[in-house]
Amino acid sequence: MRQAATTSQQRHSSHEYDHLVPLFDELAALDEDDLRREAIRDELVRGYLPLAEHIAHRFAGRGTPKEDLVQVATVGLINAVDRFKPDKGSDFLSYAVPTVMGEVRRHFRDASWAMRVPRRLKELHLSVSGASTRLAQQLGRAPTPAEIAKHLGISKDEVYEGLEAGQAYHASSLDESLGNDGEGMPLGEAIGEQDAGIEGVENHEALEPLIRELPQRERHIIALRFYYNLTQTQIAERVGISQMHVSRLLSRTLAKLRHGLLDSDAEAEESEASG
Amino acid sequence: MRLGANLVHLPIVRAVAVNIAMRADFDVDAISDLELAVDEACSSLITHAVAGSVLSCRFTIGADDIMFTATITSTEDVTPSESTFGWRVLTTLADDVASWADQVDDSLHQVHIEFVKRRPVVTR
Repeated sequence: MRQAATTSQQRHSSHEYDHLVPLFDELAALDEDDLRREAIRDELVRGYLPLAEHIAHRFAGRGTPKEDLVQVATVGLINAVDRFKPDKGSDFLSYAVPTVMGEVRRHFRDASWAMRVPRRLKELHLSVSGASTRLAQQLGRAPTPAEIAKHLGISKDEVYEGLEAGQAYHASSLDESLGNDGEGMPLGEAIGEQDAGIEGVENHEALEPLIRELPQRERHIIALRFYYNLTQTQIAERVGISQMHVSRLLSRTLAKLRHGLLDSDAEAEESEASG
Repeated sequence: MRLGANLVHLPIVRAVAVNIAMRADFDVDAISDLELAVDEACSSLITHAVAGSVLSCRFTIGADDIMFTATITSTEDVTPSESTFGWRVLTTLADDVASWADQVDDSLHQVHIEFVKRRPVVTR
């Protein structure tokens, strides 16, 4: 068996890969569905791995973890192995290096784009959310976008953007950035141990275990909204989180319950069919 | 608006609902309630829709209310029962919730869910 390339090797002369070159011809000579293709392809990827690591190393120190870079570079390497045509007259290294570098560069472009845009929106969202909380306290009811815009001295369109950011970014990072809210939840008055007021509901046998599985805060919020009929702003004040956070939690929890009910429906039908 | 009766399209309907409610300057509670109600109504209808059929949604914007109607085609009359949790969710989030079915032919029904979200009365 050919020796697998030593990944710890620091020297990256092209001679290091000389033994791999004939494999490309071997691969090209095999039929598309030949089972040996897979093994040769793996051997090539493993063999050229030091190249991917070397390129990943050159991009280190830019805020992306080294392992991620190696992973991205390896994807580039696999693409290069798959696309390389040995009969085109060029050698693999001069084909692979730009391919792998391109993959890593694309990763940086995409990642930094993803970070830059949401940051502005995230800040906008947080300021809109904060203003909404302050206004709710002043007015004793939920404010409208126009009221928030006036309060912050920004345009209504910006308020819309900030509100929509809350809908679009269900990502947990958004909730994390709001801090460990929910700490102020008055546990004493939590009716969470009860059934969120689902007695008398037709499908409550299926619903009960689903509600019991919910985190306590979510259970509490569902009960306050759909049993005690409190508004989101009232719930936010009581639980000690923002109205927009209540909105996200409600949305997520309702979706979770719906999926759970669908699954239990499917199970019931199955057992009916088999029983 | 007409979309494929598939859950993957729900974010579009939700986004339209939010946008309409924001521009009507509904308060933030009502905006979110409308979104959640639209989500609930459409999801429950879509799960009963004939594969490959259409979800049709209509928003009617009044001076102080937004009316929403969602319609799908199903092989059964799947009008939701008023004693389900889903119905409680809808009636809490929205006003004047109604659901009915029209028989199209022997095997198909058009099932509708309709509700109104009223601008909350501001007491100063």
